[in-house]
Amino acid sequence: MSARTAGLVAGLTIATSMIAACGAAPSAETGGSAGSGGSKAATATSAADLGGLDALVAAAKKEGQLNVIALPPNWANYGEIISAFTAKYGIKINSDNPDGSSQDEINAVKTLKGQDRAPDVLDLGSAFALSGAQEGLFAPYKVQTWDKIPDGQKESTGAWYYDYGGYVSIGCDAKRVKTCPASFADLLKPDYKGKVALNGDPTKAGAAFAGVYAASLANQGSFDDIQPGIDFFKKMKEAGNYTPVEATPATVQKGETPITIDWDYLQASYAKEFATKGVDWKVAIPSDGKYANFYSQAISKSAPHPAAARLWEEFLYSPEGQNLWLKGFARPVLLPAMQADGSADAALVAQLPQVDGTPTFPTPAQVDKAKETLAAGWGAAVSG
Amino acid sequence: MSAADTPLRTAAASRRGRTRSRTWLAAVPLLAFIALIFGVPLLVILGGTFSRGGTFSTANLTDSVHGAYLTALTGSVKLSALVAVLGAVLGTFLAQAVVTSRFRALREAILTASGVLSNFGGVPLAFAWIATLGNSGVITSALGLGDRGWSLYNFWGLALVYLYFSIPLMVVVVVPALDGLRPQWREAAQNNGAGAWQFWRYVGIPVLAPTLLGGVVLLFGGAFAAYATAKAMVGASVPLVTLQIDAALSGNVLIGHENVALALSLDMIVVAGLVMAVYLPLQRRSARWLR
Amino acid sequence: MAALTPETLPAPATVPEPGARPGRPRRFRAWRGVILFFAAVYFLVPLIASFAFTVKEPDQGFSLDAYGQIFSAEGFGRSILLSLGLGVATIALVLLLTLPAMLAVRLSVPKLRPVLEIVCTLPLVVPPITFVAGISRVLQWGPDYLATTPLYQTIISVQNPDFPIVLVLAYVVLALPFAYRALDAGLGAMDVRTLVEAARNLGASWPHLLFRVIVPNLRAALASAAFLTLALVLGEFTIAQLLSYQTFPVWIYTISDSQAQVSVAVSVFSLLITWLLLLGLSSAGARQRSGS
Repeated sequence: MSARTAGLVAGLTIATSMIAACGAAPSAETGGSAGSGGSKAATATSAADLGGLDALVAAAKKEGQLNVIALPPNWANYGEIISAFTAKYGIKINSDNPDGSSQDEINAVKTLKGQDRAPDVLDLGSAFALSGAQEGLFAPYKVQTWDKIPDGQKESTGAWYYDYGGYVSIGCDAKRVKTCPASFADLLKPDYKGKVALNGDPTKAGAAFAGVYAASLANQGSFDDIQPGIDFFKKMKEAGNYTPVEATPATVQKGETPITIDWDYLQASYAKEFATKGVDWKVAIPSDGKYANFYSQAISKSAPHPAAARLWEEFLYSPEGQNLWLKGFARPVLLPAMQADGSADAALVAQLPQVDGTPTFPTPAQVDKAKETLAAGWGAAVSG
Repeated sequence: MSAADTPLRTAAASRRGRTRSRTWLAAVPLLAFIALIFGVPLLVILGGTFSRGGTFSTANLTDSVHGAYLTALTGSVKLSALVAVLGAVLGTFLAQAVVTSRFRALREAILTASGVLSNFGGVPLAFAWIATLGNSGVITSALGLGDRGWSLYNFWGLALVYLYFSIPLMVVVVVPALDGLRPQWREAAQNNGAGAWQFWRYVGIPVLAPTLLGGVVLLFGGAFAAYATAKAMVGASVPLVTLQIDAALSGNVLIGHENVALALSLDMIVVAGLVMAVYLPLQRRSARWLR
Repeated sequence: MAALTPETLPAPATVPEPGARPGRPRRFRAWRGVILFFAAVYFLVPLIASFAFTVKEPDQGFSLDAYGQIFSAEGFGRSILLSLGLGVATIALVLLLTLPAMLAVRLSVPKLRPVLEIVCTLPLVVPPITFVAGISRVLQWGPDYLATTPLYQTIISVQNPDFPIVLVLAYVVLALPFAYRALDAGLGAMDVRTLVEAARNLGASWPHLLFRVIVPNLRAALASAAFLTLALVLGEFTIAQLLSYQTFPVWIYTISDSQAQVSVAVSVFSLLITWLLLLGLSSAGARQRSGS
């Protein structure tokens, strides 16, 4: 074959493959694989709309798959939750981008809309759930245990609802630190020089932001005023106690960040993981700054597997799902109700980090204001 | 090289006059590719920068050069400039040491290692340095540096870590140019009584100047754009604009700051563009007499 | 030594070493040793510290467990194959685009040369994190504005997670400055015009010219461009992570939460493997060069 013919053939191949890659979106609406049942599930606002839980299970099994996003396996025991769901219903779960942030989840919903690998269900920070609902990205759905979710912890039409939460806590390696700190005030002690770290930048990481908010509550601040928290970290930096390293399992194991501020459920799960690595991890909720925060569940309006998505929510809000979160040291939203009717696993409740009192939450407006203050002032505070 | 400026003229080509005018088509795929894959996202960034709340507005751009954002921009520029100059100097010395080596194996090993290390960054690099010179690092403990107030987690420590991928990049860029320094020039200089220093000052460095400048620019761009290493090691305690863009575009806290992030991106493009604009004419001038 | 002229055959005992400059004072050799020593310390000590972390087990002392677990870690094979595939595709595309363009500019349209130079150094001006912000917004046009046009499927298919062409396209843009620089140096050293003129006068067709005359002379430059591109793709993290693809560097980051020592072990291991791979390729290229 002469070079010219070869070139012609190559050109034709490339041209045909490019034409094959063109084409408009399929005219079927959301979720191509589900067929006629799909459109029914896509607009169902409760299991009753589909004819009961069994009908929902059947429709979900027909879809056969579920796309989740940003669910790390050892975050609130999601690894076990995913395998339990698959084992119970035989529905394969595709876990995309486990390290993703809430913003990444929203971006994925927008970018992948109409594709088969778009996320079906989301687990978002509450501010993101709020803004996503305002943008109309979510499908309203009320799980069967809807009424047991406290008011103020769910959106009235069912666009989003709190799922699990935890407190800001101080984790500490008892092997490398003689006496572990029990409060924010303790963190300023000279024994902890160069030892205290956050799990990231508070303008990017939710737990770090919560840490600054909690520090503010511990230093005569309030939900309206995060500045005392920023000042506290500035003081810690000047004392030399605050280290800007991003706390990860590697840095903890190395001994670089023996004291970290993070969610209590994450800290508690690290304790198990670290025990085999020569780290004696202790978790304490600071006595002077208690800040609790819940994450939110939402179903994507353009979910490719709407029935499976709704079944996933039903599973999560059943006692089985809630107890699995409890096993991950998180406080599920139905915990008060479950403790009342006895469906909460008492042993699991007992192993939660101790805290007294009921949590109060800032309003979205207060949180937004705190974020703006933080974004403007954090850099200057810690770069002294 | 004036020969390059006269178009190729062979008897055959002037007979087939159309051949000459068709050769430029070979450049079209590249230009079209850049226009599409690079140009379109850039236009989108511009669009986002100048819109706030759905309408045209320069508020994003103004916000991006005030307050914390301005501190971050100047911090990034300072760090990148320092790393670029230091890395260029140290990299050139290392390149010269490598090029004049007797052992071909050493030269190949270091050149390929430079190619690899110039792309080594992010969390693994940060961790390697944390493990070495961090508060509980190997060297820190061995030399008792912690008691003397040593901390890796500041501007200078970050610069030290940034050199880790900058020096290899400089080596990769400079070695081909050092190879091009012909021995005859050195001998001629020596025959005229020049010492080593004079050779370098009047012959070596002017010849190398375009490459050295190019290296400085390349190192500046690389350090300017880096963020994963800083995020893992120093967080916001060294203000950098890339960290802020990352927090706004892909975080768990800030919502609705995307367009300011795009404005910051535009600022970054302008800064890097300025550096490039200074470099290109200088480079053309010094390269001219090489041909 | 300084009195020796180039025409005089050097005595066997004083054969000048390759690369050595005649008349260089002996103390430079000491300087070279000092520089290489400090460079070795600076570059090797952090790697050794990382290695020390991966082999330390609290009870067992030294243990290479972490390295054994690399291959069985979930996602290792898939991510490294993906990165290698992306690397090969990027090299092919970047060379295919730049070589004809640079040849054309040198041979017949020298006025385009500054344009080409600016275009090929532009990617250095836009940081990857900014570039990916633009890319992801363009990708969002697919579902929002282009759903009824043929471009929709194109946008979808370039994002296919099994082989994301969008990453190849982005990486080609990132690799462009390096490929351009390497090829420019190679073409400059080659005197393209004379070779092309001679070949055309002898009746060579363009494809023959390209593959049998130009490419063999550019072997070193092409190899250098290929190495730099491969190293770039194997180390690129930002774009792959922000577009949510599990390439090798992203995978290392993902497992760092659950398996700290394995993650550090993987990064040390991947550095070593990439280096050995490039070393092997470069010595294969050297053997070819000396053979031909």
